Formats: sequence, C-alpha cells, structure tokens
Amino acid sequence: MSMNIFGDEATEEKAESARLSSFVGAMALGDLVKSTLGPKGMNKILQSGSSGDVNVTNDGATILKAIQLDNAAAKILVNISKVQDDEVGDGTTSVCVLASELLREAEKLIMARIHPQTIVEGYRIASAAALKALEKAATDNSSNPTKFRTDLFNIARTTLSSKVLSQDKEYFANLAVDAVLRLQGSTDLEHIQIIKRVGGKLTDSYLDEGFILDKTIGVNCPKRMENAKILIANTSMDTDKIKIFGARVRVEGTAKLAELERAEREKMKDKVNLIAAHGINCFVNRQLVYNYPENLLAEKGIMCIEHADFEGVERLSLVTGGDVVSTFDNPDKVRLGRCELIEEIIIGEDKLIKFSGVAAGQACTVVLRGSSSQMVDEAERSLHDALSVLSQTVKETRVVLGGGCSEMLMSCAIEEEARKVAGKKAIAVEAFARALCQIPTILADNAGFDSADLVTRLRAAHYEGQSDAGLDMDEGGIISMRKLGVTESYKLKRQVVLSASEAAEMILRVDTILRATPRKREAM
Amino acid sequence: MSAQPSSHASGNPSGSNKSFNDRGKPIEVRLSNLTAAKAISDAVRTSLGPKGMDKMIQTSQGEVIITNDGATILRNIQAMHPAAKMLVDLSAAQDVEAGDGTTSVVVLAGSFLGAAEKMLSKGMHPTIIAESFLKGSAKAVEFLNEISTPVDLDDKTSLLRAASTSLNSKIVSQYSSTLSPIAVSAVTRLVTPTSSNVDLRDIRIVKKVGGTIEDTELVDGVVLNQNVVVGAGGPTRIEKAKIAIIQFQLSAPKPDMDNTIVVNDYRQMDKIFKEERQYLLNMTKKIKKTGCNVLLIQKSILRDAVNEISLHFLSKLKILVVKDVERDEIEFLSKSLGCKPIADIEAFTEDKLGQADLVDEDSNSGVRVVRITGIKNRGRTVSILAMGSNSLVLEECERSLHDALCVVRCLVKKRALIAGGGAPEIHVSRQLAQYAQSLKGMEAYCLQAYADAFEVIPTTLAENAGLNPIAIVTELRNRHALGEKNAGINVRKGLISNILEEEVVQPLLVSTSAVELATETVCLLLKIDDYVMAR
Repeated sequence: MSMNIFGDEATEEKAESARLSSFVGAMALGDLVKSTLGPKGMNKILQSGSSGDVNVTNDGATILKAIQLDNAAAKILVNISKVQDDEVGDGTTSVCVLASELLREAEKLIMARIHPQTIVEGYRIASAAALKALEKAATDNSSNPTKFRTDLFNIARTTLSSKVLSQDKEYFANLAVDAVLRLQGSTDLEHIQIIKRVGGKLTDSYLDEGFILDKTIGVNCPKRMENAKILIANTSMDTDKIKIFGARVRVEGTAKLAELERAEREKMKDKVNLIAAHGINCFVNRQLVYNYPENLLAEKGIMCIEHADFEGVERLSLVTGGDVVSTFDNPDKVRLGRCELIEEIIIGEDKLIKFSGVAAGQACTVVLRGSSSQMVDEAERSLHDALSVLSQTVKETRVVLGGGCSEMLMSCAIEEEARKVAGKKAIAVEAFARALCQIPTILADNAGFDSADLVTRLRAAHYEGQSDAGLDMDEGGIISMRKLGVTESYKLKRQVVLSASEAAEMILRVDTILRATPRKREAM
Repeated sequence: MSAQPSSHASGNPSGSNKSFNDRGKPIEVRLSNLTAAKAISDAVRTSLGPKGMDKMIQTSQGEVIITNDGATILRNIQAMHPAAKMLVDLSAAQDVEAGDGTTSVVVLAGSFLGAAEKMLSKGMHPTIIAESFLKGSAKAVEFLNEISTPVDLDDKTSLLRAASTSLNSKIVSQYSSTLSPIAVSAVTRLVTPTSSNVDLRDIRIVKKVGGTIEDTELVDGVVLNQNVVVGAGGPTRIEKAKIAIIQFQLSAPKPDMDNTIVVNDYRQMDKIFKEERQYLLNMTKKIKKTGCNVLLIQKSILRDAVNEISLHFLSKLKILVVKDVERDEIEFLSKSLGCKPIADIEAFTEDKLGQADLVDEDSNSGVRVVRITGIKNRGRTVSILAMGSNSLVLEECERSLHDALCVVRCLVKKRALIAGGGAPEIHVSRQLAQYAQSLKGMEAYCLQAYADAFEVIPTTLAENAGLNPIAIVTELRNRHALGEKNAGINVRKGLISNILEEEVVQPLLVSTSAVELATETVCLLLKIDDYVMAR
C-alpha cells in the first residue's frame, strides 16, 4: 500500500541516491574551481546571464558566489568558501577543493561498505592529528619586528603569486604590507580605501596616505586648503520645504510671491550662517548643494563639496574623526573633522579631492591602475585578499610554509597516526591523508608538471626529515620552502582544514534529502 | 564568434612530460578568446597609419559616424564576446592614458595573441607564455627609452612635428598645418615649467557647423556655445564689457513652496501684472547699477531663465544677454573670465564682474559666434573654435584635435620623442630577438615570437599604403641591421628613409603605454580557461 505523505511537488531522495547526489554536486564544484589553484592557476570568465557583464577572476569565492546551483551539497561548499572569505579572506579555493577531495575519498570508502559514521570518526581523528602537526610546524616571529615584516611580506607575496598581480607581486606585497602596518593592529579594512581607475599599467598603482574622495570642489571655492576644519553634513541645501502633503501658501499678488521667495532665500542664508558659525573652512554635504548656498559658502572662504555619496561621507567621518550632522544649532557640541591639507589631484583624466594628514593616522588609500576594467576589478579582489590575510596575521602572528609543504606535513602526520588506530576507521584516517595530498597534486597539475612524480618525491623528502620541502613551481622540483620564502598564515591553513573537514562530515552524515514544495507564486 | 575546432591537438609527441597537457575544454575556450580578440583587432587594422581607411558606423539610434579613431570605432562596436569586450576596454584605457595610438594598441594586442596561439599549439603552458611576454614588454620599454630623444617644451617645432604626425593619420590630414599649431599653442599656454600633467578640461572646443575646417582657430579669449538673445532687440556688440554670470532667474518669482495666487476681481489682475513688471524692473535696474552690460544666464529647469518682459528691460538698458548656459560650464567660464557666479540678486556686486575689452557676436560663413576678447584677470584656460562643413566632418575634426591635444599632453607628461613610421617597432623587434637568443628554455621561444609580433605595425602601415609588405618590412629590417636606427617607412614616397628627416615623430609615452597595456591584456586573456555563466 502506498501512501502519499508529501505534498505535490515535494520530493525525497533516500540513502544511496541522496549520498550520490551530494557527492556528485560537491565534486563537480571542486573540479570547477580546482584549475584556479596555485601560482599557475587559470582565470575564469564570469558572464552575467542577466546583464551580460564580464568579469575575469581566479578568486574562488567570487566564482562560487556567482554561479547558480541547485544542489544542496554544492551550496554547503559555497557557504564554507564564503565563511573562509569573511574569516581570513583568502584560501577560498583551497577550502572548497579540500572538502570535495575528502568527499571523493569518502565515496570510495562507502563503495567499500564502510558506514558513514565510521568514516566521520576516522576523519575526526585525522583532522585532530593534522591540526596538531600544523601547530607544531608553525613559527612565530612577532617579537622581532624586522623578521615579522619579512614574514608579512612573504605571506603577501605568496597570496598574490596565485593572483592576477603575480607579475608584480613584490611591488604589491610591499604595498599591502605598508597599508596593513599603518592600521596598527586593527583589522578594520574600512580604513584602507581602494580607488580604481582604468588606464596606465598595474605598477602605476600606488599607496597614498590620507583619503581620496571622488568628487569635485564647488565653483569658485578655494582649491587648496591647509589645516582644514571639516564639517560633514547630511542636510538638504536647496530649500527647507514643509513636508506636509498639500501644504500651500495663498498670496494675493506677485509682490507677495517675491517676498515669499526672498524669505526662502533668507532662511537659506541663516542656515549657511549657522554652518559657518562652526568655524569651519570645508563643508562636505551628502546631498546636493544648490548654487545659492554654494555662492554664500564660497564668499565666506569655505570649501564646499556637494553630493558626496553615502559611503564617502561615512569614510570621511571615520578618517577625519568628525561627526555626520544634520542640524547646526549647537556648534560647540559638534566634533569637526580635521586634516592638514585638502587639494585636487589628477588621476588618469579625472580630478579627485585628496585629504592628507587626516586625524586617523592609519587611514590610507590605494590607487589601482590597469589596462581594462576587468583587470582593475580583479586586482582589487586580489589586493583585498592579501590585505585581509595580512591583517589577520597581525593578530595571529604564527606562520606556516606554503607550496604544498604544510599539506604534505599534515598528511605524513596523519599516516603516522593511522598506524596507531585500530579498526575500520583507520582506513578513513588514511583516506584523509590521501585527500590532503591532492592539494600539492593539483598545484603540480595546474603548472603542467608531472604530478605523480613530483608528489611522491615530495613525500619521500618529508619522510627523510626535510620538513620544509615543497614544490618549486618555476623549475618543477622539490626545494626548501623556507629558503624560497613561500609562507602562509597559520590561521588560514587551520581554517581551511577545519572548515573543509567539518563540511565533509556534515555532508557525509546526510542520508535523506527532502525538497520542500516551492512556494506558490500568485498570478503565474 | 564561435570557437574554432581545436585542430591542433594538445600535448607534443616528443614524449617529454614537461610539456603542458591541456584538457579539451580549456583549449576551446582559449581558441574562442583568441579568435574573437583577433577579429576585433582585424576590424580596426585597416585604419592604421597615414594611408589608413575610415570606417562608417551606424549607431543603434541611426546616427552616422565617420572616423578612423580606433577608440571611437571600438566604442561603437557592440561586442558580445567577453574577450572582444576586453579589447574594447583596452583601447579605452589607451585613450585615457595617452589619448592617441588607440588603434595601434589593439593591433599590437591582436598580433601578440597570434604569437601566443602558436606557442600554445607547441604545447607551452599559458602562464609561461604570459610571464615571458611581460618580461618582453619590460625590455621593449627599455629599448624604446634608449632610442628616444628628450624634448624641451619651448621647442615648438618638435611639438608641432609630433602633433602633425598624429593628425596625418586622420581624415583631417590635409588640414594638419592648421590644426597642429592650434593644438600645440593650446597646450603650451596651460603648461607651467613644473607641471607634469595638463587637465584637458581647461581646453574647450566649441563646435559650429559652417565654413571649413580651415576656419578653425584658437581664440584669444572665450567662445561661447550659445548665441546672444536678440529677440527683444538687445545689443550684440559691447566694448569695455563688464560680464556677470548669474545663477538666478529674471522671471516671475516662484518660491519652492506650492502656492496659489487668489484673484478675487479683475482689478487685482492688473495689479498682478503691474507687480510682476515692477519686480523685474527693480532687478534689471539693480543689475545696471553695478555697471554690468553683459549677462550670462544659467539654464534653469524649474522655471524660465528669462521672460519677454525682462529681456525687453535688459535691451532697453543696453545689456547683452546670453541664456541657457549649462551648470557644468559655469566653472570653466568663471575661471576664464575672472568673474564669480552670482546666485542671488542681493549678492550682485561690482567686484564679482569680469572685465573684457570686447564682447562681439560676429557672423562669418553664416555662423554666429560670440567671442569675448581682451579679458582682464584671465585664468589658465583656452578656447578653440572648431568649424566644419557638416556635422560628420566637424565631429571627426574634434576627435582628431583631441588626439593631437593628447599627443602634446603626452610630451608634457614624459618629455621625450621617438621616431614614427614603424621605426621604433622594428628596432624593438630586432633588439628583443637578440635578447631572446641570450636566454634558454621556453622563454627564449616565447620572446622570439613576441619580438616577431611587433612587426605587425610596419607590415600594416605598408599594407594600408598599398606597398608590398614583405619587401618593405624586410628592407626595413635590413636597414636597421646596418645600423640605421631611424629608418622607417616613408608612406608618402613608398620607400624606406630616415624617418626623423621626414619629421615623423611621436611621443614616447604613446608607444610605451601601447606596448604595456596590450601585453597586460593579452596575459589576462591567456590565463582564462573557462567561462562560467553567472547570475
């Protein structure tokens, strides 16, 4: 007897087929992004289906966010990659690839009739062992500023080498390190503003202290201002209107109308006087400033910047230390923004306003140049990755080695551990080690090297005690990563292993996929 | 633009496991990219050089543009393929950076891609090709720097040569003797000895249909886009002018608040008319009192900037009126006239007025033009009056003039000149090939191909001029090998000669930026192995 338990369009997938569908989804996703991994990774074109916009990227999170998915397991992978992006900012591809490799191994074990729970147990033992080995290998140079700077520089270089900026990684690594060290320990990347302008080449980009606002200074205002006192406002500078609907003024003639107009002008004048009473010499408004108040302000020698967008006002208030105000009755209670110099600069063909010597000393602006908008966009993403990894490293100062070295190290440690484990779960522990080995394998594959040869040589080197051996992507050999300076943040690597194994575990435990009835839409 | 079937299979038969083994899909993606990008570069190729042809573009609005400016052509091509779009962007970037050489940059990129394709079919890894190309571009810039000659901004003849070289490849080439001095003196007027850049927005090109391109002139003063309002019979010529720019309106008052005028009987109607007249009369009198006799009125969207009554009063008071001045023009005008915009009648004072010897609307060739000359306290701005017999020619004339201005600006940014006529490209190609021989490994191969790719510029120049490209390019190479670094293609005579003696020169920045930008884009394209459809 069959009974219809579910609603019309709700579906259920059980046991084998549920597992199969989640494995297939996760592995397809892993295969999609794995060619972007590593210094010889490739880019992908993202073409928007709706607007036809073109985006060129090799950032895992960006790719994964953009694609449409209809697979529960694949969505979990997209999520962990997003979390990785938020937490550390880089390694978004690695985490997705590792999780899908773990699932690939798990699939084989399930084929061999091993219960998913046993696999989960084995994976747990393995990931604990891996993290222990990783922690042991981590080095901490935070006590020595010059060494720490070299560490940061190496991390930035390693991160950037897998991105579009790889050609000029030395240049940009220095730039990123300088920017992050200005932050003095804060992880608030809001302070680092990135301005993109097409034209010029990548190395025409530069780091500028201070803040750049993409607006123009009002007509007739002073174009250069030293020791500026800035009032940041969000107020309407046309005419204060009565907002009650249908409010009307009845007059008896044109003269009265003229009087009314005059009264409006007077009101505006009063407002400007109130603003000027703050003792300022620069007025930045989020909304438009009409001609009349602009004239009045210019006459008082106040630089006037209109229509600074929302973000611009927020940042300006952050970096100059001023409040955003919309009433002007209490000049003494308002904190004014301060900076040493405001001037116009030309980038490419555009004029922008630069605020230098701002109150928040850590603020700075990176001006990115490049040959096309895709180039500049991708450069921004890469730089953002580098900046967020660096700012995390300033907090958690331990570093580990990259280039497949850490993965091999963990894999070896897991294999050691597997020997001590009794029972079926030992097989799962070994599987974890194999999955970790896939990362150096993919690195080598992407670079067009013989991965089978290289990875086994790498493993042999590790067993012989060369714990800093890794893949040399230029020559295709095994070399000491410490000598090469390929360094990665400990937090990043730890996060990759943790989230990947957690996600794999979660997907493994699934034995039924229930799909709810799609919500009915009216008038279809 | 679909992908060509991947006829050359991946991998090479030598058995070395170091060769790059690509899977099926990436090869197709890459080939489709290369094909699309090369199609774009072929589309503009024929417009390169002094004997290049023009393109007629019909826009989606049915507008017709005739041009041979690469950036303009590409901007109007509606490229669908992502890779093609990137080349369009590339040309736009060159436009921003150097302003000229927008065609060359795309042609170069196409040629580099051709070279990359050959390397890919040899089984080389794309990233290795990309890296070698970037290394090559750095070297190429070095070589270009070596053969450049520094130029002094006071050396007007060198600047003139550079400007006319740029103009010679445009439709307006026969007028290059008129336009190049205009471009040079316009930019040099804005330059201070220390400046490293020029804001081209300080140069205003006012376009008027009528006359011929030869009538184009650099005006010593300001030319207005608008004409004098003559409806009410006001003056059109004022000597010893006192100019005011006003941002308020001379019409019936209109507060921002909603209002109604209540009329109870007909006597009140008279009163309203009278009051309006009185109101406007007061305003105009106030204006006259300050001595102002030229009034530039900003356009207003909320109400009429002027109405008949106020125009009548103004013409009685002998005030010249120009209306519909756009808000974004105000900055330029106030800067060049040395006056301050006035937003309220109360603030209308004499110190805000600008002074000029003559404001005159003259009409030659059937076009009325307002000129303001003999301005006191003049700001650093320049006005150019561009004329042309029809709007198509005029537009192209403006674009060419813009390119010429950019060329001169490039010389301000980076004060060095190099030869034109394909000479620098051949030089770079030869030097790079020599450098490639000092390397080993795949890099050497890639650099060799990169070096050969530079020959596309002289080849195209020769082709477009109807010469035999092979004969010309090989002879050119031969002359360079014999040590004639400045030998180039003399397109006019159809032979190889010392191009510096022919006075064909271009700014160094145009060439270096073209090489760098083209290489950067090609490398980005090479590294693509997949399309992903996104939301």
